[in-house]
Parts: sequence; structure tokens; C-alpha cells
Amino acid sequence: MQVETAILTGVLFAAATYLILQHSFVKILFGFVILSNAANLLVLSMSGRPDGKAPPIVEDSAVAMVDPLPQALILTAIVIGFGVVSYLVFLLYRLFLDQRTTNAAEMYADTDDSVRE
Amino acid sequence: MNWAVAPLLLPLLTALGLLFGRPGVGRRWVAGLSATLQLGVALYLLGRTYFQGMVVLLLGGWAAPAGIVLAVDTFSAIMLCLAALISLACLLYGFAESPVSIEHPLRLPLLQFLVMGINLCFCTGDLFNLYVGFEVMLIASYALLTLEADDWDIKQAYPYVAINLVGSALFLSAAGLAYGIFGTLNFADLAMRAAGMGDDPRVQTLAMLLLVVFGIKAGLFPLYYWLPNSYPTLPFPLAALYAGMLTKVGVYVLARIFGTVLPHDLHFAHHVLAVLAGLTMVIAVLGALSRQFIRGILSFHILSQIGFMVLAVGLFTPLSFAAAIFYIIHHIVVKASLFLIGGVAATLNGTDNLARGGRLWGLTPWLGILFLAQALSLAGLPPLSGFWGKYVILVVGLEQGRYILVGAALVASLLTLMSMLKIWNATFWSEAPDAVVNMDNSRWKRMTWVVGGLTIISLGIGLGAEGVMQVAQKAAGQVLDQQGYAAAVLGATGKGNLP
Repeated sequence: MQVETAILTGVLFAAATYLILQHSFVKILFGFVILSNAANLLVLSMSGRPDGKAPPIVEDSAVAMVDPLPQALILTAIVIGFGVVSYLVFLLYRLFLDQRTTNAAEMYADTDDSVRE
Repeated sequence: MNWAVAPLLLPLLTALGLLFGRPGVGRRWVAGLSATLQLGVALYLLGRTYFQGMVVLLLGGWAAPAGIVLAVDTFSAIMLCLAALISLACLLYGFAESPVSIEHPLRLPLLQFLVMGINLCFCTGDLFNLYVGFEVMLIASYALLTLEADDWDIKQAYPYVAINLVGSALFLSAAGLAYGIFGTLNFADLAMRAAGMGDDPRVQTLAMLLLVVFGIKAGLFPLYYWLPNSYPTLPFPLAALYAGMLTKVGVYVLARIFGTVLPHDLHFAHHVLAVLAGLTMVIAVLGALSRQFIRGILSFHILSQIGFMVLAVGLFTPLSFAAAIFYIIHHIVVKASLFLIGGVAATLNGTDNLARGGRLWGLTPWLGILFLAQALSLAGLPPLSGFWGKYVILVVGLEQGRYILVGAALVASLLTLMSMLKIWNATFWSEAPDAVVNMDNSRWKRMTWVVGGLTIISLGIGLGAEGVMQVAQKAAGQVLDQQGYAAAVLGATGKGNLP
């Protein structure tokens, strides 16, 4: 299981990076969604090999349990990630309303940073 | 009562309370009193940690490393004091600057949430709560950044949000990997298990990943692009708080992680830190010279000064850590007050564009004197506070034979002076006949009083450098004492002590 998880995490990170570097807001948004899921999957995989282990329910059994802490961690991280992504949706929507474009390159094309009007 | 929780509870309860009710004088009193109280608590914690050692709170009474701990040592307490001081100053300045009628109802509660996130970063004793603290702070800062923004501001806010989202994802990954390697997230337990693993490539990779994460937050070259365009979109009092505290959280965490948690023999990572710091100092100050408005110049200066602090962390001796802590104390007060002085000047001129301001020296010499004191302190002229931090950093650099870095620091100081003179010439000294100075509204006088208070504190740091340095040395000793930290945290008795 560990190798497949590692490959999947790698693919997710690569896809997220590719999408974030695109011009379109929608692609950027999906890039961030995938990025946070990639990080969550990485944390989850730190539980170690689940093969042959019992679910983390406390019983007097001789079988070793899966480490439950990473699951608790990503539960927190998912909630935080959800909040931040919903903020990002609104930010990008507001940008679209202001600039009437969903292309990031177009939007920043004629910006002069050295002077504030 | 264990006071380590007060720096979190006070801003949280205040923020929740402030969410109710409309903007009014009463709400301002609540926010101001709460900030004063926070300063009092932070000063008490500073005294307590300085004289009696660390304050450790086991949340729910569960012992570390299984339970969650808050651990406040002298360095944390210093940072708590500075956060409370700057948030108080920014609140008072904001009250003086704008009447109640135009205050956004969410500004005060969000400010308190921001302070709570900052304080959590300083108090926490484990890596995952540090992540949570970062997120609380960042989400509050996103909201404040876009709260009163026009379409130009929103455009500048987007890179800030985007880069910090990437930073958060990397931080989460780093926390997960740390758990995978060591099987714990508690700082003290991590320090004990990581000891002697400095040669392990996994630990080195983790150190570099954490360096990138906190480098983004602190604004290290080449990760700082988000900062100099987004901070100038903020109103001056908020910009002062962001400039003073947010990037310094990154520096604090760098010092904490490399000093307390990771093994001390990660020479490569320390070297990378020092070199990046040297590059940051010089390149950022060149950026400052390229800007034509006060907030833009000052925003680039934050980065340049971050270089000095991170250089001190990268040199990695007890003395250089003390210098880093001294520099943080000096820089937070000076930087915040420079932003606030810029705010007064912009109020008087009606703009912070250098080309359109001017004539302030003749009309308000006191404001000019405050600016000079703080600007020269930033550049590092003795006996002002900036000199002493730089002096110790340079001494350590020379002792280690890092001549290029020392040279870079000197060049950066000189260029800092030049860009400060740029503001001075354009805003105070210039006799531009078309510069409008509007002194009818007396609110700028009240704003100047707040800045005056900060300037006096900063002068006190410079003149009492001996005493401040003593506190900084004690704090640096505690940060680098991994055994002592672990003994204090793991030794606290609670439920479920592991054998």
C-alpha cells in the first residue's frame, strides 16, 4: 500500500503545481484544492502500513492498531483547508467582478508597482 | 492559575465579544482595555519566565508528549510583550485616525483574532498547534487585508493569499513528515528523539522543508515577492501591525525550530540560512530604493531587516541568537512606529506619494524629529537601538570569518540610510510649492502622541541596551538549551505520564 500512496501523493502534488501555474482562475482554484488534499494524503500515509492492523478502536485485542493520530491531524487540516478554499473562491470571484477577466496574466499585465495612486 | 493560557484567552474572548454590537465608543474601550490587559499579562509572564524559568501548561491536565502543551519561555514572553505593545499602539492610533462613524464593524474583532493567532504561535509547544496558530493568524490577516480594499488592493492581495496557501500546504506536509520520522510532534520530545540525527538525510530534508515554509512567512529571498506589494494596500495602523509582527512570527519560529527542536549540527541548513539572509538584506534594500511612496519603501525595509535577524540565526552561536532577539525587539518597535509616522505624514499631505508630499519639517518639526530618530535607528547609528543589534551580529560574523556577509550587512545599512533620506527629503525637507498640507483637523496631533510613545520606548531600548541585551542573552540561552526545555516540558506532571 505504501508505494501506491507515495506515487499518488507525488502525482497529486505535480498536478496541483501544474494547475496553480496556469493563467485561468478556475484552474488555479482547483490547483489549491488538489494541493491541500495532497498534503492531507501525505499526512495520512504517515500512519504506516495499515496491512494486517486493526482499526483504532480500543479493545483488548492482540492485533496491532493503526496509528490514529494522523487521522486526527488531517481532520483538523481538512476543516482549515475548507475554510481557506472557500475564502479563495470569494477572492477570485471578487477579482473577476472587478477586472472582468479570469486570466491572471492579463490582469497583472499593466501594473506599475513602484507608485501607489 | 496558570497564566500561559491568558495570552490566548484574552484576545479570543475579546474578539467574540466584539462581534456583537455596533461600532461605537464602548467597543473601542473594550478593545483598548483588553489590549492593555494583554500587555500586563505579557509583562508578568516575562518577569516570571526571566526569574523563575519556563511556564508550562498541560491542556486538560494530560502530560506531554501525549497531551498538548503550551510552553512559554523568556523568548516567547518577549514576543508576547511586543505583540501586545504593538497591537495596543495600533489600536490607539487607529482610534485617533478615524472617527467611530467610518470604522468597519469587523476590524476590531479581526484584529483580536489576528493577535490570538500570533500569540498561539509564540506559546505553543508542538508543531501541529504551530500550524493551527499560523492558520488562525493567516485567515485573520487575509480577512483584514481585503476588508476595506478597493479593486487595486484586491489585485495585490491575491499573491499574498496564494503564496501563503502554498506555504500552509508545505507546512502541513512537513508536520506529517516530522511525525513519520520521529513519531511525535511535541517540540520537547522531537528535540530528544532528533538529538544526534543531524547526519540523517531525512532530518536534513525536513530542516530544508521547514526553512522554506518559515522563509515564506518571514519573507526571505527568493520567497518574499508577495510582501512588498500587498502590505502597502493596508491602512497605516494595520500595516504597522503587519509590518511589526507577522514576518517576525516567521523569524521567531525559525529561531525556535532550529534552536530548540532540530539538532544543532545541521551545518548545511544554517549556512543556507545565512547566505539567503545576506542576499535578502541587499536585494530588498535595492527594492526599497526603487519605490516612490512611503509604504512601499517601508515594506521593502521589513525584508531587508529580516535579513539581519535571519543572518544572526544562521550564524548559530549563543551570542548571535541573543543578537537576533535584541534585533527583533528593536525592529518591531521601530518598524511599527515608522509606518505610523508615515501615516501621520500621509494624513497631513493627503497622500503618501513622495512626488506630491512635502514641507512638513517647517510645519511640524516634532514629527520630523521622531522620524529622524527612528530612521537613523533603522539604519543603525549609535547610540540608537538599531546599532547594538547590528554591532553584535557583525562581531559574531567577523569572529567566524564570514567577511562577505559582514560586507553585505554594511552595504545594506548604508543603502537603508539612503532610502530613509529619500523619504526625509521628499516629505519633510522638500519645499515643493504644490504640496498640500492640511493641518485643520487636529487628529494628527493625537496620532503623533502614540508614535511619540513608541519612539520613547525605542530610545529606551537604545540607551538601556545593556539591560535589554542581558534579557536577550538569557532568552537565547533558554532557546538553545534543548535539555532544559525538554526537562521542563516532559517533566511537568499530569495525567498519563509515560514511564
